[in-house]
Amino acid sequence: MKQNHIIELLEGGPLSSLSENELRAIGTHTEICPACHQAYEAARISTLLVKERAAETMEPSPFFQTRVLAALREQQANNKVPAFWRLWKTAGALVSSMALTTAALAVLSFVVPGAGAVTTQNAMAESSPYSAEAIVFNQDQNEDQMTDEQLLSVIYADEGEAK
Amino acid sequence: MAHRFFRQRSLVEEAAQEVFLKAFTQLGSYEGRGSMEGWLTRIATNTCLNILRAAKRRPELTAADLTEEQNHWLEQELSNAAGALQSAEDKLVAADLADRLLETLSPEDRLALTLIDGEDASVNEVAEMTGWSESKVKVRAFRARKKAREAMERLLGRRVLSRAH
Repeated sequence: MKQNHIIELLEGGPLSSLSENELRAIGTHTEICPACHQAYEAARISTLLVKERAAETMEPSPFFQTRVLAALREQQANNKVPAFWRLWKTAGALVSSMALTTAALAVLSFVVPGAGAVTTQNAMAESSPYSAEAIVFNQDQNEDQMTDEQLLSVIYADEGEAK
Repeated sequence: MAHRFFRQRSLVEEAAQEVFLKAFTQLGSYEGRGSMEGWLTRIATNTCLNILRAAKRRPELTAADLTEEQNHWLEQELSNAAGALQSAEDKLVAADLADRLLETLSPEDRLALTLIDGEDASVNEVAEMTGWSESKVKVRAFRARKKAREAMERLLGRRVLSRAH
């Protein structure tokens, strides 16, 4: 119902652009139509608010110019620095930490297992993969790979050598 | 220009600084076809719109969001149909409320409403300022006006009806 009354006038353009005739027609209609009266009041107040907000002014702070000039100088200085260096400045820490992590992983993967060869366990295991010690210490690794007969023969062979 | 979009001083100055930095960087692209002011205004408009787009939009305004002063201002305004604001305090409350109302609109709708209804700019002027087509400006302004009116209607709600009876 409301749409057929004054709503098109209210939304078609700014309230300040309405002619006297249009304003009079709105005034006459809103006296008898509460819904349109509400719509008109809302439009009037929201326009007033927007105008009030637009009328507000703000002077820049006394330091604003200095701040902008400093930012401009900084920007210019940044532009003089080569692109690679700028990239390094921003991503350098990340790249360094990634390189360090990679190096640490490489050391752990290739160097540490080699050093482990000097330990007693591994020395024994390497000298005879089927020795009693190797079987006991590397039980998890070997028990699936050896048959019972192989195990027994290795254990008895070791005992014989000991005697 | 930045003050049209932001009310807090720090935000206004931050946006203005970004505008000057951009203008300085893009100075070479200024071909001298239009006025320098127009060129700068376009940069300012687009920069501020981008900042607003990145910011989170505030939810719909409800009566519960209003402060005591804002409620009082609305009551006062309804009884004062002439629409003239009295004191500087009234104006401050109105600007606060206006900002809260505008924050519920999209940045583009907000700009169109502020320029056309708030500053009486023509559709053509807004089109030049923003780089939008005239029909886009009209649609944005229409939509913003409708949304602002509906939001205000929700806020006023029973107050208007109770006065009418």
